[in-house]
Amino acid sequence: MHYLCRRWKGGGMETYMEILTIEDLKKSFGGKEVLRGLDLTVPEHSIFGFIGRNGAGKTTTMKAILGLLKPDGGQIHVCGEKVRFGQTHTNRHIGYLPDVPEFYAYMTPLEYLRFCGEISGMGKADLTARSNELLELVGLGQERRRIKGFSRGMKQRLGIAQALLNRPKLLICDEPTSALDPVGRKEILDILLAAKEQTTILFSTHILSDVERICTEAAFLNDGKIAMQGTIEELRSMRPSDGFESLFLEVTR
Amino acid sequence: MMPMLAFMKKEILETARTGKLVILVLLFALFGVMNPAIAKLTPWMMEILSDSLAESGLTVANVQVDAMTSWGQFFKNIPIALIAFVLIFSDSFTREYRSGTLLLALTKGLSRYKVVLAKTVLLFSQWTLGYGLCFSITYGYTAYFWDNSIANNLLFAAAMWWLFGVWVISLIVLFSSLLQNNTSVILCTGGIVLLAYVLRVIPKSKAYSPALLMNVNSLLSGVEGTKAYGEAALVAVVSAAIFVALSVLNMNKRQV
Repeated sequence: MHYLCRRWKGGGMETYMEILTIEDLKKSFGGKEVLRGLDLTVPEHSIFGFIGRNGAGKTTTMKAILGLLKPDGGQIHVCGEKVRFGQTHTNRHIGYLPDVPEFYAYMTPLEYLRFCGEISGMGKADLTARSNELLELVGLGQERRRIKGFSRGMKQRLGIAQALLNRPKLLICDEPTSALDPVGRKEILDILLAAKEQTTILFSTHILSDVERICTEAAFLNDGKIAMQGTIEELRSMRPSDGFESLFLEVTR
Repeated sequence: MMPMLAFMKKEILETARTGKLVILVLLFALFGVMNPAIAKLTPWMMEILSDSLAESGLTVANVQVDAMTSWGQFFKNIPIALIAFVLIFSDSFTREYRSGTLLLALTKGLSRYKVVLAKTVLLFSQWTLGYGLCFSITYGYTAYFWDNSIANNLLFAAAMWWLFGVWVISLIVLFSSLLQNNTSVILCTGGIVLLAYVLRVIPKSKAYSPALLMNVNSLLSGVEGTKAYGEAALVAVVSAAIFVALSVLNMNKRQV
């Protein structure tokens, strides 16, 4: 498995790491084939937009990457290590933010991050410093209430904090802005942009303006396969006049 | 080991902050007080009822109560406490599936077997705490009012009933690893307990049924010795260990 790769970019050869590679991924639920041989590579230090209609298989792909679902076929490698269903060893490289993150409502944000750090084996001093740093980053530094009283936006921000806690090489966000109001969406996108310095981000969505705003690369998922993949500039150049929306409609038709 | 301890710490915090610890303590303390209290009040209640019973042609003679009456109440009431315990604590796994809270813990690299073991240890501990509290209160009051020494093999009898509770909890763990909702877990656990009860009625299988561990009256009165419970206790211990091991295997295959 190639972890270190080269490609032509801007007239020269660029060396980059593949954080995530997916080959021929297949998954069915009952008789319904959701993924039909999906291939995807995510280069290091990118914000990668994973675009598809509702029910296209974005969450299924992400859960397979996390070893939570058993694929019917294909292979997934994270940082060069093979993902095995049920064994979460590769998850030490990954931070995950589900579409609707659910926490233990009786804990405070700081207690929850401490719990996450302890189950992933972080040292006490590092955990305390990192928890405080991340709660400040997501605007929950002064929050002493229990999670029970949190709004959806606050839960989403805490979700990002827990996902970044272990300094993951890959941050997977499943439609993090879908259910938020414009203010909440902007806050989450700003946090993700700030997190770009620390990690690679795989970001699933069907909100195209979010992709155009923060992503460096994107892939369109349609009919259980990647229909198109490239940098944002490459994808934009395909429809210079109409933009992303017409490209999305064409690809996912 | 640290991740498992952290998960156990979370379980303890959950029991305390969701009010389950208070319910557990109150429930078992209430049963603990009720057993000797009912025994103590029995003569008085019989006296009050004597007039109405006399009208029905029944004569109430002098009612004698002692430590055996109190322990009789204990072993009569503890099944109700176990049922309440099952209803309160059996959603330990299914609540996490339903809410999705386990998902984030697993994506942090927490091994699934540690989830099963941590929850199992906590359920066993909660049962031990509740049962121990109920037993201690009944023991204390019974010793105060009467003489505990007239009950034969009291500690052994109590241990057998505790073991039956442990066996029931291991069934909850097993079905929680297989099923999605709490009602199904309770129904399946109840079904197996019923099966054990039926096996206890059949003479050939009686000695091997874990349900025999509930039937300790003949042990207390000295009609039967401790040896009569050996096979049933062994079956309970071995099957409980197998149920927990199977739960780990099921959990590893479970798609979250």
